[in-house]
Amino acid sequence: MNVVLKAQSLTKHYGSLTAVRDLSLEVLEGEVLGILGPNGAGKTTSINMMCGLLRPDSGCVSIRGKPITDGTSDTRSRVGVCPQNIVLWSQLTCLEQMVFMGEMYGMRRDAARSRGEGLLRDLDLMEKRNHRACTLSGGMQRRLNLAMALIHDPEILVLDEPEAGLDPQSRVLLREYVRTLARQKTIILTTHNMDEAERMADRVAILDQGRLLIVDTPEALKRTAGEGDVLEIEVEGITLPEAREAVAAVAPQTSITDHTLVIRARSAVEFLPAILEALHAIHARAGEVRLRANTLEDVFISLTGRRLRE
Amino acid sequence: MRAFTVFCKTLREMSREAWMLGLTVAFAPFFVVLYWLILSGGSTTYTILTIDNDRGTRLADGTTLQAGKEAVAALGRITYADGQPLLKTRPVADLAEAEPILRDRGAAAFIVIPEDFSQTLASLRSGDRSVTTKIVFGGDVSNPYYMVGVNLSLTAIDSYIMQATGQQPLIGYIEKPLGASAARTEFETYVPGTLIFAVILLIFLAAMTVAREIETGTLRRLQLTPMSSFDYIGGVTAALVLVGTAAFALAFVCAVMLGFRSQGPLWAAILVGAITCLSVIGLGMVVASFTRTVSQAFIVANFPMALMMFFSGVIYPLPKITLFTLGGHEIGLYDFLPPTHAVAALNKILTLGAGLGQVTYELSALAILSLIYFCAGVWLFQRFHLR
Repeated sequence: MNVVLKAQSLTKHYGSLTAVRDLSLEVLEGEVLGILGPNGAGKTTSINMMCGLLRPDSGCVSIRGKPITDGTSDTRSRVGVCPQNIVLWSQLTCLEQMVFMGEMYGMRRDAARSRGEGLLRDLDLMEKRNHRACTLSGGMQRRLNLAMALIHDPEILVLDEPEAGLDPQSRVLLREYVRTLARQKTIILTTHNMDEAERMADRVAILDQGRLLIVDTPEALKRTAGEGDVLEIEVEGITLPEAREAVAAVAPQTSITDHTLVIRARSAVEFLPAILEALHAIHARAGEVRLRANTLEDVFISLTGRRLRE
Repeated sequence: MRAFTVFCKTLREMSREAWMLGLTVAFAPFFVVLYWLILSGGSTTYTILTIDNDRGTRLADGTTLQAGKEAVAALGRITYADGQPLLKTRPVADLAEAEPILRDRGAAAFIVIPEDFSQTLASLRSGDRSVTTKIVFGGDVSNPYYMVGVNLSLTAIDSYIMQATGQQPLIGYIEKPLGASAARTEFETYVPGTLIFAVILLIFLAAMTVAREIETGTLRRLQLTPMSSFDYIGGVTAALVLVGTAAFALAFVCAVMLGFRSQGPLWAAILVGAITCLSVIGLGMVVASFTRTVSQAFIVANFPMALMMFFSGVIYPLPKITLFTLGGHEIGLYDFLPPTHAVAALNKILTLGAGLGQVTYELSALAILSLIYFCAGVWLFQRFHLR
């Protein structure tokens, strides 16, 4: 696949804080790239630089080989951004906002109107087209926020935390809609929600403290954290290091997270009787036992030693 | 084309926030009405308390001279050019009755006519120059109306004495008013400043309109489009100039309805107002450059608004603090404020009937300063928010 957007060695400082450090990333045509990281990881700063809203202190961004900062309207118009916060003109109606943004992107008024109506229909807002933005519910405003990013039919769509603050109904509608777009556009979405990233992204880039840690498909990433399943056991009666030592002989890849023993292995459940027996031998008891598949959270933990929400 | 789109969008948004637009447009006409009410529909009439102790006197021909009563009547006869009285007399029995009224500023001053006032005038009329008497006057000297009230009263009494005794003044004075200024009411002299005040108030709308785009993030959304700085600033400025000019025109119409008589062409006055708008919008941009929210913009805008209001002669004329001379013109400290020249130009156009050719200096200074203020505002705004 062709590279649509290329970020090279992007660095951005805010005073003494380095928000993004030496970020290099290639976005492929037609893919959904998820940028995953905890709050403050530098996701929004990264995409602001990628869409030309923020000038990097060093490094450059190009779209199809043309620098985004070259000042040509063509390069910038290839990107549509749906910001994390709801950014609307509260006193304009849904359709007026769409037509206004379309005209600002250089579309003819009638073309902007027609495309705006189409987008409002797709996002279930057609009934509200003549209502002012300030009268819409939060979910509707979020959908209008997305529609605004698409009015000029951009090649690349950037979604900054698209599911933040959405009600379940709007979330489903948004996911469905992004899925339909994914076949036609290149999508970059930032999130701190691993489920969202795993469900929607073809590839996931993990950011932490301004650094890009890894980029790959969700499946490949999960493999880096260990094959197979994850068995989590809460232990009572002894300390976690003692418990780990006790089960080391039967489950050598045991680690400790929070208040649980974590065992990663193919068919991890087969280890369970031997582990329980080992714990029983040192007079410890197993509390809650959970078996689950490997997630991107595990990948993040294996890379940083911390949970995404920490 | 994009500038026109921004212009239409800005006007549409303003029209839907009627309270903000309404206040901006209606505030100056409201001030015009307020001035008209304060000035009793035209000019100030000064109330004088009179304590007439005069006992009168019988003249040689058998008639009675009541000079005290006649002097008090003379006070009420002096008028403005339009016939409105300058002084209004209110008789009181004594100082004890006058004092609380003066304390409450219910009158500008008091005058006590002495017991022998008629007797003294009768003696003077018969040629006896040895007699004399004393008229006592006074009041709350800190009352701004005191000085004018007392001076007018004493002038009126002097005139009455001259006329009653048949004496001629040592020196005659002839007044030569400039243009149509003699026929102007006090209300009319305030109108040019009030019109510029209408434009100055635009600073709130300018700063808040732009600050809202910053606060809500819509400006960043626009930055993603191929829009240039000119498109945005041009569109917003055009909408604000339209609103400012409308406020100016509305205040003017209101003043005319209340008796203002313009001596110059309205279009020249509107031109002055429109140019002044540019400087005010420029200052609004400066305010918006340093603020991130609408409430911050509102608070900060008060400072330049007060500066322009109090130091440009809009409300009252200020003493000239000359810094240097340029091309024969003394440049004062307040001359760096565009409204100073706007008020001067409007005074000449509306009060003295001057044409544009006679206000070249004021117009040039206003245009240059407005351009500087506007460019400074645009530059700062671009630097802080459009890069």
